[in-house]
Amino acid sequence: MENSFKKILSLVAVAAFALSASTVRADDCADDTVKVGILHSLSGTMAISETSLRDVLLFTFDEINASGGVLGKMIEPVEADGASDWPTFAEKAEELLAKDEASAVFGCWTSVSRKFVLPVFEKYKGLLFYPVQYEGEEESPNIFYTAEAVGQQAIPAVDYLLEEGYTKFYLIGTDYVYPQTTNIVLFEYLLSKGIPVENIGGGIRYEGDVAVSAGNYTPFGHTDFQQIVAEIKDFAASGDACVVNTINGDANVPFFKEIAASGLTSDDCPIVSFSLSEDEFRGLPTKDLVGHLGCWTYFMSIDTPANDSFKANFQDWLANDAPAAVAKEGRVTCSPMVLSYNGVYLWKAAVEKAGTFDTDAVIAALESGISFDGPGGTVTTQKNHHLTKSVYIGETLEDGQFEILEVMPDVYGEPWLKGTF
Amino acid sequence: MIPHFFFLGCSGKSTVKQWICLLITAAIMTSAASARDARTVMAELMQAERAEQAGLIEELSTYGDTIIADIYEAWRTGGIYLLEQDTGSQLLQFTDAQEWALVHNGAVITLSEAEAAAAKKQRPARALRKQMKRIIDTLGLKADNTALRIDSAIKLGRSQKAEFIPALEARLKVETDKQVLSALQEALAISRLANGEDAQVVEAVQTLKALNSVAARAFLEELMQAEGDNEHADNSLSDACAEALISIERHMKQQEFFGSFFRGFSTGSVLLIVSFGLAITFGLMGVINMAHGEFVAIGGYVTFLVQNFFIQTWGLSSSAFGWYFIVALPVSFIVAAVIGLIMEVSIIRFLYRRPLESLLCTWGISMVMQQGFRLIFGAANVQVNNPTWLMGNLSFAGFQMSYTRLLIILIALVVVALTWLLLRQTNLGLHIRAVMQNRHMASSLGVPVARVNRMTFALGCGLAALGGAVLSQIGNVGPSMGQAYIVDSFMVVVTGSVGNLLGAGLSAMGIGLVDQLLQPSLGPVMGKITVFVVIILFLQWRPGGLFPTLSRSLDD
Repeated sequence: MENSFKKILSLVAVAAFALSASTVRADDCADDTVKVGILHSLSGTMAISETSLRDVLLFTFDEINASGGVLGKMIEPVEADGASDWPTFAEKAEELLAKDEASAVFGCWTSVSRKFVLPVFEKYKGLLFYPVQYEGEEESPNIFYTAEAVGQQAIPAVDYLLEEGYTKFYLIGTDYVYPQTTNIVLFEYLLSKGIPVENIGGGIRYEGDVAVSAGNYTPFGHTDFQQIVAEIKDFAASGDACVVNTINGDANVPFFKEIAASGLTSDDCPIVSFSLSEDEFRGLPTKDLVGHLGCWTYFMSIDTPANDSFKANFQDWLANDAPAAVAKEGRVTCSPMVLSYNGVYLWKAAVEKAGTFDTDAVIAALESGISFDGPGGTVTTQKNHHLTKSVYIGETLEDGQFEILEVMPDVYGEPWLKGTF
Repeated sequence: MIPHFFFLGCSGKSTVKQWICLLITAAIMTSAASARDARTVMAELMQAERAEQAGLIEELSTYGDTIIADIYEAWRTGGIYLLEQDTGSQLLQFTDAQEWALVHNGAVITLSEAEAAAAKKQRPARALRKQMKRIIDTLGLKADNTALRIDSAIKLGRSQKAEFIPALEARLKVETDKQVLSALQEALAISRLANGEDAQVVEAVQTLKALNSVAARAFLEELMQAEGDNEHADNSLSDACAEALISIERHMKQQEFFGSFFRGFSTGSVLLIVSFGLAITFGLMGVINMAHGEFVAIGGYVTFLVQNFFIQTWGLSSSAFGWYFIVALPVSFIVAAVIGLIMEVSIIRFLYRRPLESLLCTWGISMVMQQGFRLIFGAANVQVNNPTWLMGNLSFAGFQMSYTRLLIILIALVVVALTWLLLRQTNLGLHIRAVMQNRHMASSLGVPVARVNRMTFALGCGLAALGGAVLSQIGNVGPSMGQAYIVDSFMVVVTGSVGNLLGAGLSAMGIGLVDQLLQPSLGPVMGKITVFVVIILFLQWRPGGLFPTLSRSLDD
């Protein structure tokens, strides 16, 4: 009995192998498509944020395919799940480049996942488009950073607050590379703007004479902000104080609930957050956030025809063409999504300019400066693999949208800011 | 009086129309300038173009009417609505009494439901808020609300502008409320640091020292530095500043210390509430329930559902909404207890005395439940709003306690008291203790062991959900919310001695206190690590926890 079962099993296995082999051959024959990789966490803790980027990428590919594809070829997306696990990201990247030979890969959210895939992309001479705001201090020949660098988010936000007359800055963040690096750059920047050290709150750690860490840090998923909020209240007691918030993920909920309970209002002490976009607001009590600030290179509330049609097309796609796995209810658009979208169109333009999918030629075309009129305004690639783009400062409204307060057009993307002020 | 048709014909959408309307309004206004009251100007300001606003604000500053502050406050916090109708548009204020009042004359009107739904919320632009601040701040001194008066006094003082000193002095003479008086004195002293004559400055420094003014620190430091740079000055003033600063710092240290105690109790109460259920299922029954965190999450989600039910039935801004949390507490307990009961009957009862299997099995259940939450409620967190009566805080002797935290401490006490009563004063409690001590002996004496097990497990699960309901007020509600607390819960139960409820209570409070007392000096990350190290060392020293159960049997 057991024997025959094994026989059947092996037969099935052989059949499956033969089938898969035949499909592989079929793929090889198809030269009217081009493979493009999507490398995001579709499971694990980061899935909440990264799934939205997968969705918008699928939408963008469908949009491009509907209008004739790239160089006459249809985009064939290959989805890889990084599973919120950094070594898995590296494995999947290798698979996408070596096995699938993806012409370009769009992906990663956390900086640590990018650091893991970076050597893989350099080894296989691949091309990665990275869409999420990050700390800078990196410039790989095989990565294009459509994301906001520190100079396109944190620095403009601080400039705005300085202009508004705030003179005391409290820095708080989650304990990992993005907040730590961003805050140390901000610390240097604030000092260069004449803000005295004692007006920068959260604690500064020195090694010798060099400040190595500025601000107060909490672990991922921290739940108890009583002590920190009490500290901020004392810090803000003499007026003109604001908070620069790089807390990541859902730890923002207990933080803002504690702030609301303490009676600190956005008029007394505004909080500018760099990790909260429209997409995150879906799971946050926005009532506690009203009046606090955000700074991105795109807001859903931007009132331009380009953004209107982007939003309408995305909703239309969700309603009619999206695969079953894509959530359809209450979807919004946000900066990382739009930067993913821009990345695909920049790649398309570069391929068309180079006349080939060859990675080296595409990178050369991108470095020569390519512009795209995206939903957040025109973006232009730079030689240093970053983008020139417009920066927006917004104030949170009760419905989870931003009211735009200020626009800074065409800000140059500069990754190397540490030690320059 | 201003004619009533004043806003008729102003459709808010078209700016051109608005302009014309404003021009007409202005024309009427000039003819009846003397009759303009603050309400009218406020109503006008709300619909004015940016360029017009500065003039209107200037005009407002000549009024001393506190109604400006009231209306502005409503405007800022979303209590002002614009109702556009075919006949024209009206600005309305939704008052605390749940009534609709016309902004420009205060008359209460009734709106049909359709009209109320069509009214659009208005809010001031940020630029305007900055300009309005000055007017509101001085007006605030005359407000009826003491908190507003204190707030206003502090803001005026901090600005250190000489122009506000007369207003502050005038108010000081008529003020009767103690807290406001001290705020006024503080504000005047801070203001005089920059504006007064030498004798006044010294006096101001003394006052600030006596008041232990935290807000004055930065200003005193500034003054001290300026004096230090000034070579001709004698040192008396900078010495006085230094003395005052030392006194204030000492006061702050004390505040910090007491504050940390309160925060420690509140953190301890949170730990206690989420771990008390585990102290029963793991501590008393010996079931290593890895799904404990998911029962906490059930509590959060039930609170979310009850909240939504209240919003759907009575609306978010109704007074009934405030009660949802009170209703959610027992409902979440009952729902989780029933689910726990089902789980006990179907799975757990086969696993008594088999710790390894129970660990693996409940871990599996926890994953199934988490995925279940994702399927039902989505992967993203859900929003739970605090009821209005839980917002804000209580000021006591200089430090603040938020109402949510106070309520959590209260609930923790009630939970401990009720559980103690249940275990010590009821028949079921007697049975539970008997079964926990010796299952077979209790059974042979006629205690219905199976039933007692079911009830105990359900009780533990219900308490876990109660914790989740409470947590919804201070943190996240999401599919993995339980994961954040499961380690802490086991930590509390093991430190407090497995099987000892009093130990669990004390260890929760102890861990909370140590955590909060360490945080100011070590920071949250190092603080947490240190707490873990302290617990490991403690368990090395006393492996049985705080109150180890003494037993003669060999297998325990």
